[in-house]
Amino acid sequence: MIVIKTNNLSKQFRIYEKPAGLLGSIKSLFNNKFKDINAVDNINLEINEGEIVGFLGPNGAGKTTTLKMLSGLLFPTKGSATVLGFVPWERPIEFRKAFSLVMGQKSQLWWDLPAADSFELHKEIYAIDPSRFKKNVGELTEIFQVANLLNKPVRELSLGERMKLELIASLLHDPKLLLLDEPTIGLDVVAQSAMHRCLYEFNKTRKITILLTSHYMRDVETLCSRILVISGGSMVYDGQLQGLKNEFGKEKLIKVQFNDVVPDHVFNKFKPFEIGGNIVKLRVEKNDVPNVLAVVSQCEEVSDISIEDPPVEEVIEKLFVSHRLKKI
Amino acid sequence: MLRHLRLMFCFAKFSLLGELAFRSNFLLKILVELIWLGILLTFFKTIFGKSSNVAGWNEHEFLFFVGAYYALEGFVETFFLENCVEFSELVRSGNLDFCLLKPIDPQFFITLRRVDWSTAPKIILGFIMICFALYEIDKPFHFWKIPVFLCLFLCGCSLAYSFLLFLTALSVWMVRNQSLMEVWWLFTNLMRYPRQIYDSEWALPIRMVFGFIIPALLAVSIPVEFAVKNINIEFPLFLFVIALVYFQISRMFFNYSLKHYRSASS
Repeated sequence: MIVIKTNNLSKQFRIYEKPAGLLGSIKSLFNNKFKDINAVDNINLEINEGEIVGFLGPNGAGKTTTLKMLSGLLFPTKGSATVLGFVPWERPIEFRKAFSLVMGQKSQLWWDLPAADSFELHKEIYAIDPSRFKKNVGELTEIFQVANLLNKPVRELSLGERMKLELIASLLHDPKLLLLDEPTIGLDVVAQSAMHRCLYEFNKTRKITILLTSHYMRDVETLCSRILVISGGSMVYDGQLQGLKNEFGKEKLIKVQFNDVVPDHVFNKFKPFEIGGNIVKLRVEKNDVPNVLAVVSQCEEVSDISIEDPPVEEVIEKLFVSHRLKKI
Repeated sequence: MLRHLRLMFCFAKFSLLGELAFRSNFLLKILVELIWLGILLTFFKTIFGKSSNVAGWNEHEFLFFVGAYYALEGFVETFFLENCVEFSELVRSGNLDFCLLKPIDPQFFITLRRVDWSTAPKIILGFIMICFALYEIDKPFHFWKIPVFLCLFLCGCSLAYSFLLFLTALSVWMVRNQSLMEVWWLFTNLMRYPRQIYDSEWALPIRMVFGFIIPALLAVSIPVEFAVKNINIEFPLFLFVIALVYFQISRMFFNYSLKHYRSASS
């Protein structure tokens, strides 16, 4: 079943341009200047039920604008979309009950009250059946391991704790679709891992569809089977993460560990990519990997060799750069 | 309807819990409201110490008016004012997103989600003044007038709410909307005194504009005149109709403004 389908979805914003300084401000009182920018430009996508899709792009690429159109907060300038069978910007009540939007930088919990009170209010707003509500709170607090935090005022929680509770609030009404906008922003590695575990489990047990934007590649690598990459408002990639690596990662990293320090003759033969203690990383073309391995393995001092893909950040960056160059 | 009542009860309950998290602030706000009432009554007693009649209103009729005004202001401040003032901040910060995503009527949620309990005593004190004034007024009072007065009082509240909602909606375009409080202050000043004080010729423009076009002068005057004076039936009917019309227009304008909400960036 298709959960999200868009057809040439576009959003244009009119931006007010004000010259700097006092004189500029006075001039702009009489002569307003505007500039139209294409925040989202002809996006076509289809997302099926139960998928976890990563939505990547540099700052200002149009990720959040797309999410806001899909959640019905913004009206598109052009194009169409259906989400869970509804036209999002018509905002029917049944549609609003069927999905959740979580924004890592914004809170929907009442700041001065314990999360348990916000959950109670949520129950009334979403008209959740009391027994279902009780069951969901029990299950979710166990999955997220936050039972001890429910009665603490939200303002006294750490960012990681608060984000877990935000996610619980967004899942209480059993949404079929979860739109996550940078949910792990500002979280430490432990909190990020906990979040990944919970989202993964929730996706598997409840078949919830997740569309996730993030600047942390760990989120994407851990959770997403498929990624969408947007740049300058246009979709530049839609497919498997490995496919992107194959397309844009023409090199491999060979990690060589020596018994002691890295011997000098290694530097004569290869140009190391990274050196740390007794480990050296060599960046080589995929075709050259067998030749390099043959040479390196002959060194007596070598204790271990492994081959890695370049960091996914680097692959994505290459994709962005190639897209920008195409536009120029 | 029942669901909306349950939600209002929840908003009231959680607002009270929120207020009680900062008890000193809550008590101080109540104290300030009581001081304001003291100043209002002192002014009132001073005026009637020098004159037995102001613009055709005797002391107890005027006290009834002050009570009704105080209760109406308390009603609007308790349920709507803080929410409307906060609306521009919701627009500016983008937190309005969460209000629009909730599966309930956005106007209902945005304008009622927080109850300012510190101003609620004004409603009770206003009605105490009304009861005291009724007891003192030397005229027979017909008890059938009570439900009609309460209905007209709610029409007055609805009219005041409609003005607020209209000003609130402008925040979607203006983003920073400090004029809201300024205009609300103007309206409260117009509602504070009986409309007859603008009967003189020089005040004709005020009477025309704020008596018919933006009928702030009628919000308190008409219900009170119905209760304690002899008034033609056309005026209460006019208030009833205009309250309905203004409510509908302001609601349409508010919904129209939400369609132009651009949402702040993440």
